[in-house]
Amino acid sequence: MRQKLGFSGWLYLLPTLILIGIFSLWPVVQSITYTLFDYKLNDQQKAGLYLQERFNTDLFQETVLYIDLFLSEDLTNITDSKDKEKVETVLQNLNRVASSYTDDKGIIEISKEERLEINQLYENTKALIEHLTKNYSLTHTDSLPLLVEDIEKSMIPSNFIGLKAYKEALGDKRIHIALGNTFLFTFVSVAIELILGLGLALILNKAIVGQGLVRTTSLIPWAIPTAVAALMWCYLYDGTSGIVAHFFENLGLISQSQNLLLSQGGAMVSTILADVWKTTPYMALLLLAGLQNIPSTLYEAASIDGSSKFKSFFTVTLPLLKSSILVALLFRTLDAFRVFDLIFVLTGGGPGGATETLSIYAYKTMFGQTNFGYGSVVVMIMFVCVAIIAMIFVRLLGKNLLDRN
Amino acid sequence: MKNNKRKFLFAFGIVVIGYLFIMVFPFIWIFITSFKTSGEIFGTGAFNVIPENPTLKNYVTILFEKGILRAILNSLIVATSTTIYVIIVASLCAYAISRFHFRGKSILLGLVLAVSMFPQMIITGPIYNLFYDLDWLNSYFVILPYSTITLPMAVWILVTHFNQIPLALEESAKIDGASRVQTLTKIVFPLAAPGVFTTAIITFIAAWNEFLLTITLNTESNFHTVPVAISFLRDQFSILWGEVAAATTIVTIPTLIIVLFFQRQIVSGLTSGGVKE
Repeated sequence: MRQKLGFSGWLYLLPTLILIGIFSLWPVVQSITYTLFDYKLNDQQKAGLYLQERFNTDLFQETVLYIDLFLSEDLTNITDSKDKEKVETVLQNLNRVASSYTDDKGIIEISKEERLEINQLYENTKALIEHLTKNYSLTHTDSLPLLVEDIEKSMIPSNFIGLKAYKEALGDKRIHIALGNTFLFTFVSVAIELILGLGLALILNKAIVGQGLVRTTSLIPWAIPTAVAALMWCYLYDGTSGIVAHFFENLGLISQSQNLLLSQGGAMVSTILADVWKTTPYMALLLLAGLQNIPSTLYEAASIDGSSKFKSFFTVTLPLLKSSILVALLFRTLDAFRVFDLIFVLTGGGPGGATETLSIYAYKTMFGQTNFGYGSVVVMIMFVCVAIIAMIFVRLLGKNLLDRN
Repeated sequence: MKNNKRKFLFAFGIVVIGYLFIMVFPFIWIFITSFKTSGEIFGTGAFNVIPENPTLKNYVTILFEKGILRAILNSLIVATSTTIYVIIVASLCAYAISRFHFRGKSILLGLVLAVSMFPQMIITGPIYNLFYDLDWLNSYFVILPYSTITLPMAVWILVTHFNQIPLALEESAKIDGASRVQTLTKIVFPLAAPGVFTTAIITFIAAWNEFLLTITLNTESNFHTVPVAISFLRDQFSILWGEVAAATTIVTIPTLIIVLFFQRQIVSGLTSGGVKE
């Protein structure tokens, strides 16, 4: 009988829950939040998540100071007494608002009403200065209109944009291409890996000698860092010194060895080949383990019943291997869909975006352009795709996956 | 019949040898290149199997000028510390999952599985901001977010292994008067050791190979791990293939050692994660 987990038993789970909570779940929630903001690290007005309207008090105070100074100087040029009165009221208003913010420093959050008041002030001042510059020749006729604009600049609107970024993403051609590339890469490489891996596993399962050697050799490509493998292939594919490129040229597969990484199709094929090289062995090992779990008595029974070897593959092997294949496919498909290191090092997404996958695009947007908002939208699209793929496989696997534990 | 068998063996041999060749060839070629001079690599000797003027210059440059040793040291620090804390945390969690009944167990397992499927990119942005605020960028704290990649996998493999240890053993120890701690140290730990070791190897390899978090969080070359340091050898204007080859050869050695010594554990770890036993 398994015991019930008491209160102290939860201590066993606590460290895992804390780590997963802080470093896996919280970031996901945070990323979703990022998508709702126009969040750019390199833009001072947008380098944060601001639901509230904000107000740059320093800029406002400075601007009011100069407007006051310039208009007072120009007061002598204004002949009409009505206009003079107007100038004085505007200045009074400006100074009144400015004095109400004297205690604040830097950028503060303001309410909608305050924002409206400042905006009204801006409109009034702008209208007045337009009127004055039209009717009189002022000393500061050039600088005043520019100064007024600084009042508007001191009001920083909230960078909350809701679902706008998603809408933009729907029409973003680069996302369409990246999504297409990701699916193409995933589908083709996983399909090739499955076929080769299954064939290899079947052969190895029959082998009496050499299994150990093949297993050791198979583990090396899987175990080395993807970045290292990618750089290795980068050399092998190189236009001038790459032996694989040279070999393909001699075979007549490509007209010029330079074309392999520099042409759009060539780059994609190269990337897929490198991935196939690195992960087919892993696939084969997983499937081999599944094959070895099929009792040989089943094959004997099948052959007594007159089934040919070819037929028993479809009637015995495949059905019993189904869950192994699905699990291997699930993990490989997700890995391929999330591919980053391989492409980042091998092609960098090029040439001309021909191998740019969603993760590469997201990385470039977030860390190249420091646009965390839109980058997160790209990530979210990837997240949704991964979730759909995972759900399809889990449904196909049925309860198998969780039941085992 | 005999003839058929021969034919099969022959075909089998060719397929296996071909496969082995394809798997090993890139390494051999890189190894050969690492002894070539730049002139040879970029000249007519690019495809020579035996270097004309074998040189160790590439190794000297990589080891003493490009700081690959520093990267290897960083990788060792990062991968070892990740392995230690992840194994401790995951063992506790897996033991509880395997041995106790509690509400929300399947939710927890589902969560662990789901986290292992997350695209890593989804956590990098917020983690970058978190590390920026805590002033943790360019530090070994990068091992903490490594838990996203390694912890779910470790829990999953360990649960499979713990489930294989019969509960009856623990019960009989209890009947014989063993305390909780004694049961753990005398029964559970020795029996669980192989499984824990397997998980440790897999965790170590995963941490050793991690790329995205290090390249985003640790931008200073002092904190680059092997995969990141290697990727920076790919200079924009010219790639010195001799140096790349030497560096690749050096950093492959630790992996090679691990694979040669622990292949049994690795295979058992890989398959217990995925296939029914």
